[in-house]
Amino acid sequence: MSSDQDHLQTTNTEDRFAFKNEHEAALVSEQGLNEETIRLMSEDKDEPEWMLERRLRALKLFQEMPMPTDWPGQPDLSEVDIDKIVPYIRPDVEIREGTDDWENLPDEIKDTFDQLGIPDAERESLSGVGAQYESEVVYQNMRDQWEDKGVIFMNMDRAVQEHPEIVKEHFMTSCVPPSDNKFAALHGAVWSGGSFVYVPEGVEVEMPVQAYFRMNTEGMGQFEHTLIVAEEGAEVHYIEGCSAPKYSAFNLHSGGVEVFVGEDAHVQYSTVQNWSRNTYNLNTKRAIVEENGTMEWVSGSMGSKATMLYPCTILKGRGATDTHITIAFAGEGQDIDTGAKVYHNAPDTKSTIESKSISKDGGRTNYRGLVHIADGAENSSTAVECDALMFDNESTSDTMPYMEIEESKVDVAHEATVGKIGDEDIFYLQSRGLDDDDAKKMIVAGFIEPITEELPIEYAVELNRLIELEMEGSLG
Amino acid sequence: MSTQVHATISEETVREISDANDEPEWLMETRLDALSNLSELDMPPVIRTPGRDWTNLDALDFDSLVDPLNAAEEKDLVGEGDVVVTTLAEAAGDDEYADVVREHFGSVIDPQENYLTALSTALFTSGTFVYVPEGVNAEDVTIRTEMNSRSLFNYTLVVAEDSSSATILERQYTGEDTAASEDRYYSAVVEVVANENSHVQYGWLQNLDEDTYNYSLKRGSADTYATINWIEGNIGSRLTKSAVETTLDGSGAESQIVGAFFGHDEQHFDVNARVWHKNEHTTADLVTRGVLDDEARSVYEGVQDVGTEAWDTSSYQRENTLMLSDDSEADASPKLIINNHDTEASHSATVGQVDAEELLYMTSRGIPEDQATDMLVEGFFVPVFEEIEIDEFRDDLEALVEARLDE
Repeated sequence: MSSDQDHLQTTNTEDRFAFKNEHEAALVSEQGLNEETIRLMSEDKDEPEWMLERRLRALKLFQEMPMPTDWPGQPDLSEVDIDKIVPYIRPDVEIREGTDDWENLPDEIKDTFDQLGIPDAERESLSGVGAQYESEVVYQNMRDQWEDKGVIFMNMDRAVQEHPEIVKEHFMTSCVPPSDNKFAALHGAVWSGGSFVYVPEGVEVEMPVQAYFRMNTEGMGQFEHTLIVAEEGAEVHYIEGCSAPKYSAFNLHSGGVEVFVGEDAHVQYSTVQNWSRNTYNLNTKRAIVEENGTMEWVSGSMGSKATMLYPCTILKGRGATDTHITIAFAGEGQDIDTGAKVYHNAPDTKSTIESKSISKDGGRTNYRGLVHIADGAENSSTAVECDALMFDNESTSDTMPYMEIEESKVDVAHEATVGKIGDEDIFYLQSRGLDDDDAKKMIVAGFIEPITEELPIEYAVELNRLIELEMEGSLG
Repeated sequence: MSTQVHATISEETVREISDANDEPEWLMETRLDALSNLSELDMPPVIRTPGRDWTNLDALDFDSLVDPLNAAEEKDLVGEGDVVVTTLAEAAGDDEYADVVREHFGSVIDPQENYLTALSTALFTSGTFVYVPEGVNAEDVTIRTEMNSRSLFNYTLVVAEDSSSATILERQYTGEDTAASEDRYYSAVVEVVANENSHVQYGWLQNLDEDTYNYSLKRGSADTYATINWIEGNIGSRLTKSAVETTLDGSGAESQIVGAFFGHDEQHFDVNARVWHKNEHTTADLVTRGVLDDEARSVYEGVQDVGTEAWDTSSYQRENTLMLSDDSEADASPKLIINNHDTEASHSATVGQVDAEELLYMTSRGIPEDQATDMLVEGFFVPVFEEIEIDEFRDDLEALVEARLDE
């Protein structure tokens, strides 16, 4: 890391995520899930009838669907007991829809985000920022220049009230219906907070917009919903950051992300996830891409006890393009099961998946991916590359790709390698004066570089810091 | 389970088969155990993804396919020199080999591993036993099975003692006299026990007629410094579900699994290559190539599983599918499961069509397009042919590929 970024290292990264703040909530739902909880939530949010109906329908689906247990080698979810989860906590903030001034927030909440460095990042390099604390978005702001162009960036609950026509059309309908999987159904029933991003035709949002999600209460579940609609020729980069302090009971994060990429539009969705090691991170993220549109997923999965995340792209229009870049780092006790899904449903579509994983101290990483090329999707091509690095013999690294090819005029390639950190590489670096630890850190930094270079510099630095932290004290 | 075959096959049937072979009591008990547990067992695993069953074995109507008492086959068992090649039934009752058979039968594949292995165990007719004594080099063992009935169950046990070597070539095809357009079922279980420093090369060429549904499971266990090399060619059958597997149990053990398939019409091939690295310094190389024409469909699953104790592992896997028709479909899943970091492992899989540039190159030199395509298909198989050490096998497979191209 170069010296001009040193100021970013002055804060101890571990402390920045692991601290807990005391804060009195305004409304805490009871543990568990039933119709009454849903009605209470919906009423507290003053939602229209149609949203309540969607929630109740999702709840019914959730109750009917079995827990996924038959995937080969999947993470152990036996501890995930929905009856022990607090699905809804509304923090005590005077302004119900959140504020656009950090100073209006209670000190405890403001401190939390200060320590995470969010206001600083907003000033320096972002177009807009949303911050969610427990179940509700407490802060949301966007630079005037984008608002003037008709860009909408607001919390999802507010969007339900203010833009019902767009939300009604796109919210968990064609992209991620609640029937998709058990946790999507759960999400549909209890979702709260998240972001709504709308970029009108031809508008390019040059600086990224960011949302930060923070769980502060033990045993809670966070279910934020993100809906991004990019009209024809629009361009936007959305960044999501997540963290929580560590408690003894488990937390559950089950977010839902839906992205609509219009003709010739370009959406990049970047996530750096650093949930505490007691969090189950079970998300459903999906994009539908129209003609000549481009979707890019960049995901860094560092935290959580278990993650199951397979961002999915449906290439619906001719010439649509998808890029997945994922990195997973599993340390002690972590099971990071992540990957990508791409459906080529039109001719001339293209996808590239690049996955990197590192496992150490008994952690497990798994790449689980599906590429489907439908009959008629002529001249489509897909290239999948998975590389895994293992530190020690207690760790596990799995690769499970699935390819379904119904069309003959295609170019499909999958490649994967697994290896340990090369003794020769370490020797080379040591012979140039680096010690063993630094040599390993440098090799890891080089290994993940394809990911970090896709992120804004602050995030790249953060990711590198997190990885260094993971490696400290356990090398030798 | 939709197929109630276990309800229609009685203990009497199994006793009748066993009695006809004059089998020892333990073997009959093994068969009866397998039969009585049928209803508890699952079909062999097949890949399921959302909205797609890669192969649907439950749809097979075993009730009408299985007709054990009328099994008819013609078998040639050839082995020269000190190698023993005989039927399992005979070996199990032979003073000299009875103990060897009893020790190893079911040692590599649990007879009750799944519904279809249990069915094979309960109903196999005569079976084959190959025994290679210590230090013996058996060049040409051939097993030829001609299937002449609605169903046929085969069981092959190979035991290679220390420092022995054997080259075994097994072929299956359908006899001329079988009723045309009658659905048939052929099932085979092959166990290979390769003891210390032994070398077993096992070729398998399946060219059953296209009314036949085929299930086969071949698995070898390689002890210290032993090598098991498999070659499997799948040309015939209506549907094939086949697994070729090696457990590398001993230090320094090696295995190569080479596969080739060529599907046309409505053929369905579900081929699996799996290797388990269980000890240090083991090596595996999995190479499969397949061509699909018409409405043929292929499913490939490859697994490289490296255990915690498998230090210094090398493991490679390649799979390539060539699609000649727009109506064909290819599914592939090459998997890596790595529990030891002292591993060098890679896999790759590709699906594509005949390369347009190569085709243009050839047509521009005056070769008609049909002929050029045929030549490119033959060329596509060359990397697989090159891995085949048995000349006879390579010639046979090449001839079958050519014959299919000429159709």
